[in-house]
Amino acid sequence: MGRPVAIIGSGQTKHGSRFDVTYPDLVREAVRAVFEDTGITADDIDGVVSGTMPSMMEGVALTHFYFADAMCSVGKPILKTETCGSTGVSAALTGYYWVASGMADVILVVGSEKMHEGDSQATMTTVAEPFYQRFFISGAPGVFSMQSQMWMARYGIPEDKLRDAAAKVSVDHHRDALDNPYAHIKKAVTMDEVKNAKVITYPCRLWDICPNSDGACAVVFACEEKAKKICQKPAWIKGVGYRGDEYWFGDSDKVVWQGAIEAAREAYGAAGISNPLKELDVAEVYNPFTFQELLYYENFGFCDFGQACDYTLKGTFARGGELPCDPSGGTLCTNPIGATGLIRVAEAAMQVTGKAGDHQIEGAKLALAHAMGGVDQFNGIMILGSEL
Amino acid sequence: MSNKVAIVEVAQLPGSESSDNYLDQVYWVCREVFDKAGISRDEVGTVVSASSDVFHSGMSCANAYYWDSGAAFLKNGSRQDGESLFAFIYGVMRILTGPYDTALVLGVCKGSENPENDMITHFYTDPFYQRQIGLNETFAAALQMRAYMERFNITEEQCAKVVVKNRENALRNPYAHLRKKVDLEDVMNSERIMDPLKKLECAPKSEGIIALLLASEQKARRLTDKPVWCKGFSSSMDAFILGDRDLLDGQLKNAAKRAYDMAGITNPSKEIDVAEVTEPYAFQELLWYEGLGFCDTGEGGKLLDSGATQIDGDIPVNPSGGVLAMNPYVSRGLYRLVEVALQIKGEAGERQVEKEVKTGLAHGTHGFAGQCHAVAILGS
Amino acid sequence: MAKHFQTLRHDVWLPYKFAVGPTFKRFYEGLKEKKILGNQCPKCGKILVPARTFCPTCYVDMGEWIEVSQEGEVVSWTLANYEFVGRPVDPPFIGALVRLEGTDCNFLHLIGGFDLSNKDTVRSKIKPGTRVKAVWSDEKTGHLLDIKYFEPV
Repeated sequence: MGRPVAIIGSGQTKHGSRFDVTYPDLVREAVRAVFEDTGITADDIDGVVSGTMPSMMEGVALTHFYFADAMCSVGKPILKTETCGSTGVSAALTGYYWVASGMADVILVVGSEKMHEGDSQATMTTVAEPFYQRFFISGAPGVFSMQSQMWMARYGIPEDKLRDAAAKVSVDHHRDALDNPYAHIKKAVTMDEVKNAKVITYPCRLWDICPNSDGACAVVFACEEKAKKICQKPAWIKGVGYRGDEYWFGDSDKVVWQGAIEAAREAYGAAGISNPLKELDVAEVYNPFTFQELLYYENFGFCDFGQACDYTLKGTFARGGELPCDPSGGTLCTNPIGATGLIRVAEAAMQVTGKAGDHQIEGAKLALAHAMGGVDQFNGIMILGSEL
Repeated sequence: MSNKVAIVEVAQLPGSESSDNYLDQVYWVCREVFDKAGISRDEVGTVVSASSDVFHSGMSCANAYYWDSGAAFLKNGSRQDGESLFAFIYGVMRILTGPYDTALVLGVCKGSENPENDMITHFYTDPFYQRQIGLNETFAAALQMRAYMERFNITEEQCAKVVVKNRENALRNPYAHLRKKVDLEDVMNSERIMDPLKKLECAPKSEGIIALLLASEQKARRLTDKPVWCKGFSSSMDAFILGDRDLLDGQLKNAAKRAYDMAGITNPSKEIDVAEVTEPYAFQELLWYEGLGFCDTGEGGKLLDSGATQIDGDIPVNPSGGVLAMNPYVSRGLYRLVEVALQIKGEAGERQVEKEVKTGLAHGTHGFAGQCHAVAILGS
Repeated sequence: MAKHFQTLRHDVWLPYKFAVGPTFKRFYEGLKEKKILGNQCPKCGKILVPARTFCPTCYVDMGEWIEVSQEGEVVSWTLANYEFVGRPVDPPFIGALVRLEGTDCNFLHLIGGFDLSNKDTVRSKIKPGTRVKAVWSDEKTGHLLDIKYFEPV
């Protein structure tokens, strides 16, 4: 697996609607935060990894040029990783491989997005090619709605049980976000409000869906020697995994989702995890849609297929439960696309090093971070632990 | 860096406009590389591709579109934006880390399906200052060219001679896009689109789909008799605002130094047997000679005049014709790398240089006036 | 394999709304008042123009705002003769980097105020070290082209 690598700190911006700053200044906010968290400066960094969603999102192409100064990359080697929504985790993986391979000792990874400056729905429509699928995809929510309907039918899940489970997820996470100083949406909602909200693409309603957020996140990866020297409590990368499906939505089964299952399997294998429900203490699952979060519980082996609703309604995945998922509120409450996956990684690292403040899960030692990208196409996972 | 990762096989498509579907083309190069190496897609460990959304036919999430065509279905893969040598570098890192013994590196840029490069590079600008003055790569390069000529007495003829040399070399490269000789007069008389830059001194816009298979040491020796070893690499980024930079003293020398250190090279002009550099504006080849340490500061024109960088010279540069003959913007860095690999393998056909090639250098650049440079050193 | 099948034409149109932030806003407001505003890094003392939020070298917030000189030396220039998307004005025009007096970076703008149709005339007017001075447009909207161009003195 290469030499041991740790995350020695992270920084986030206050995510939300950030018309108060330009895009590079937003990036700098996160980079300054990670320098403060780690105590290092730009001189200590051997290289930088930048990650964002499609250039067309903010109307500036190849943003690694635009941010060169803001992310302290001048004079340094750089890599620019982009894999749609899974960018944040892919960028984290890039930082990890860069250090694990021995090609650098300390790497800064920065993920960012400023969605309010563009028309995100219009931009996302360009993900689908114009030959076959563009006119039918109905934007991101449409895809995930189709996925949920398939799942419901496959396992005979009664519609109201599914609706209740998804609503509970929404209620829980919106409450969790109140304890996260960086989260975008800070509004508690009730089961009734969620179940009766405006329909976006059935069965997804307003509170089942993530917001558009502006935000940036910065994480520093270091080799063992540097990590132990600089940091009191490094968060060690125990395993990583990633898979991509075919481009054509409709080719692969997205219910028993081979890509997600294998990405998890690759990460669990490296981390030596055989029973994720028992062994993981917290999971930051990429959850732009409540229904999809439920499906991930099954694909990541937290419970059997068809069982996620029952486990959710019991409280297994809520903050007091056996495997708290997204105690930060998750993507559902904060979604700056290029940063979101990296925020999951930062949150997981914070959890296993006791730095998650008001949303800390007591005694967390092993955490999973995940991001999904494309039209249900990519899944990336990083497992972090407090022990080497 | 000792021989830990090698290029085993390569496959490339030519640069002239093609009416084939992009996805089919990606599939064909990957298929060719696997067939040449004698491995199946299943055996490939990981895939790292290079593409840019804005050079990608108006679609976002470029990597999503060609994922399965690019052999990455149910694989752990990733994508690098902007500079395709980044994909090579990242592929090498993935193999060095351990879990994979092979990596497919893919470069994808179908020039004929994108708007003009000047339109796209205009959007590198910040919306506030540089965009209001209309900056794009050609505009920035023109400013750099004038400064270069004035500071070191480089002549317009010396810059134009780069075009003559490279376009002549391209006649022997079946993959090059522009395969027609030009002479000095043609270049000097071509339209001064951004004076002192002339039209024929600016690279065209080409198709470019290219793949290479990397392997760890053990695997490489099983798959081929002629592994081409990765000896060193690096990249380096300059400041964003054009006015903050010294356009003649950029980041190439830093990227080169780090790559040379990794490769144990102390005297590049003697130790590099062949170089493929990215010269989207002819004068930049002269400037890059200096950054790469092939000659002293200000001596780029003299080096060209000496004939040393001709195909039969001491340090042939761009025997393939370079970017002036073939410019698939994003994947051009990998085209440079593949050309060097072919030279080292002795498989460069008519464009094979005369001297023995043991060590070669591939260079990529993108951004205003070379804001970002990447260098890779390969060896037998 | 090389047969021509079909070409699908597809134009993409996307709208944008950029957050200007306080620094650039103040710079733009300065233009409306015929002022070119830079600011100074409190750590290294460099004066950068147009004004920035942070010093790229020192990575700290920029400090004092300074109204910089409207005169300077030409560092480099190019005579544009073709129409390209995003062009500031129709060609022929001269794009240039100018070092305004007392500042520590180059200012990207235009040079004009004389006949640009003949490149030799132009080259005789602008040499290394030629001094230029800002000429303002009649209408100012808080855009860099409120400065019409810089004219050789």
